[in-house]
Amino acid sequence: MPVGLLVSLSARNLFRHRRRNAMLLAAIAVAVAGVTVLNSLVRGMQEDMRDAAVGNLTGHVKVLAPGYRDDPGIMHRFLPGEDWKNAVPGDALAGWAARVVVPAVIMSERETRGLQLVGVNPARESISFLADVPVLGERLNGPGDNRILVGRALADQLETDVGYRVVVITRGADGSTREAGFRVAGIFDADGTALEKAYAFTGLHYVQSLLGTGEVTELSLRLRDDAVTDAVVRDLRARLADLRVLSWQELEPQAAAMYALADTAIYIWFLVMMGALIFGLVNTLITAVMERTRELGMLRAVGMQRGAVLVQVVLESALVMAAGVALGLAAGALLTWMLRDGIDLSRWAAGAELARMSSRLVPRLLPGDLALLAAMSLGFGVLASLYPAWRAVKIEPLEAMRR
Amino acid sequence: MTDLVVDCRGVSRTYGDGVPVRALDSVDFQVRRGEFVSLSGPSGSGKSTLLNLIGGLDRPTRGEVRVDGELLNALSEPALADLRLHKLGFVFQAYNLIPVLSARENVEFILQLQGVGAAERRRRALEMLEALGLAGLSDRRPGELSGGQQQRVAIARAIVTRPVLLLADEPSANLDSVTTEELLKLLRDLNETQGLTIVTATHDPLVMSYSRRKVKLRDGAVVDDAVVVPV
Repeated sequence: MPVGLLVSLSARNLFRHRRRNAMLLAAIAVAVAGVTVLNSLVRGMQEDMRDAAVGNLTGHVKVLAPGYRDDPGIMHRFLPGEDWKNAVPGDALAGWAARVVVPAVIMSERETRGLQLVGVNPARESISFLADVPVLGERLNGPGDNRILVGRALADQLETDVGYRVVVITRGADGSTREAGFRVAGIFDADGTALEKAYAFTGLHYVQSLLGTGEVTELSLRLRDDAVTDAVVRDLRARLADLRVLSWQELEPQAAAMYALADTAIYIWFLVMMGALIFGLVNTLITAVMERTRELGMLRAVGMQRGAVLVQVVLESALVMAAGVALGLAAGALLTWMLRDGIDLSRWAAGAELARMSSRLVPRLLPGDLALLAAMSLGFGVLASLYPAWRAVKIEPLEAMRR
Repeated sequence: MTDLVVDCRGVSRTYGDGVPVRALDSVDFQVRRGEFVSLSGPSGSGKSTLLNLIGGLDRPTRGEVRVDGELLNALSEPALADLRLHKLGFVFQAYNLIPVLSARENVEFILQLQGVGAAERRRRALEMLEALGLAGLSDRRPGELSGGQQQRVAIARAIVTRPVLLLADEPSANLDSVTTEELLKLLRDLNETQGLTIVTATHDPLVMSYSRRKVKLRDGAVVDDAVVVPV
C-alpha cells in the first residue's frame, strides 16, 4: 500500500475546504484544551485529597495492633522493632513515625472536650501535617516534651491559650485512669477545623510514661510514591503477621472513594466531550467523502484497492484529529500554567473541607494523562472515520463515474 | 503473449431486477494488439457498457471477457483492481484529475500505486508530460490548466504505466473541435509510433474518423465493424 501517497493525499485534501476544516480543528482543540484543564484540576483535587488523607497522621501505610481499630486505646499496643524496615526499599520510604494515639478528655477551667491524645517524636513528624502547620507559640521540642500542642478550634472551645494549663484524663496500660496537667506550648492552625478539634499532641516518651508502657499504638509510613503502596502493604503483611497493616485507602475509605471517583469523572468528561465532537467529525468526513464520490470512483477505476481508499479517509480523520489534539494540548497546558498558583476555594472552605481538600486548588498536569488523552483522542478520530471510510469503500467506480 | 488484447465472446449485460434492460446482447468483439478502435452508436446502444466490461469496471451477465489473455469473469475484486492498475489505461470524459495534485503528481500517482520508486516515477512523469507538450506546466494544478491541457495530463497518466490497452470514454466530450483534433492526433501518434492499443467509445464523428477500425453498436449488438484508413 502506497502509504506516502495516501498521507500526502489525505493532508492535501484537508486544505480543500479550509474554513470548514479550520472550524473542525478549532472545535477539537477547544474540546481537548477543556478536557486538559479539567483533567489538571481534577488531578490537583485528587492529589489534594490524597495528601490530606495521607498527611492526616495516616501515612501511606499504617501498622496497628490487632483490635485497635475496633477499640482504639493503649490496650492494643505493640513494639514496632526493626524487622519492618526490611519490607520497605530504602528509596521508597520518605519517613516514618511511631506514635501513641489514645482517646482522652481534655479540660480547661471552663470547658471539657473529648479528643485523641497523640504522643509524637516531633523530629519524625516531617511525614504529617504537623511539620508544616502554622503554630502560635512554640512547637514541641522532642519526644520528652511534657507540654501540649492543641488546635485553634479546640483552644477556642476550651477558651484556653498559649501558656495556660489544661488537664488530660485517659486510661493507662494497666486499665487505670491516668490524669496529667499540661501547659499549652502552642496552638496550631490546620487547614480546616476537623484536625484542630480531633488531636492534641505531646511528647511520645512523656505519654508512654504517663500510660505506663514503652510500646506504641501505631507505626505510620510515608512513601515517596503512592504507586508502591500496595506492594509495601503486601510485604509488611508477610513480615508482621501478628499485626494489622493497612493502606491509606483502607484507613480513609471516603477519601479513597472520592479519589477513585475523580478518576472516573475524568473519563466521563472526556467521553462526553469526544462523543459530541465525533458527530461533527463524522458529519464533516461524510460530506468530504460525498463531495469526492467521483474522484474516489476514479481512484478505484484506475486500480486503487478498497483498503487504500479506506486508509485514505481514516488518515484524513487522524490527521485533523492529531492537529487538533496538538493545538488543544498546547492550549490546555498554557491555561494550566496560567493557573499554576491555584484557584482560591476559601469562599467554599466548608465544602472543600468536607471533600478533604485544601482551600487552594492547584492544577496538576501529568505527562501520562496527556499521552493518554492524545492516544484516546486519536483513537476516537479513527473510530469516527470508520463509517465515512466504509461509505467511501462502498463506492462503485462505475456508479461514481456516471455522476 | 496473445495477439488478442480484447476477446469478448457471447457477452450479455442486463440491468435491473424488475423489467430487465439488456444493454448488451451476446456480443462477440475482439481487438488485436496495435489497433485503434472506435465504438460508436446512439445513447443506450451499449458502447459504454462494452467499454466498462473490457475495463473490468463491470461484470457480464453472460459470456466471457478476456483482456490480454486473462479471463475477467474469474477475477476477484482486488485482482480486477490490480489488472486495471497494471494493464489498462483510462481516459475519462471529465478528465478526472485529482485537484489537489499538480500535473506531474497526477501522472506520478499511478506509478506510485504501482510501487515505482520516487526518482524513477518523477523521471517518467516529466518525460511523458514533455512528450505530450506539457513540459512547462508540470507544477500546475488541474484548476490552472485548460480543458485540453487537463485531458493531455489525463492521457499522460493513462499511458505512463505503458498499459496493454488504453480505454477512452467520450474523450472529446468536453473539448472544442481544435483541441479535440490535437488530442486525436496525439492518440493516433501514440498508436502508430508506440503501437498502443486504443479502444474509445464516442458519439463524435471526428473521433471516429481518426480510428482505424469503426465498430457500430445498436440496441446492445454490433451492427457494423469496419477497418478504415484514417484521415
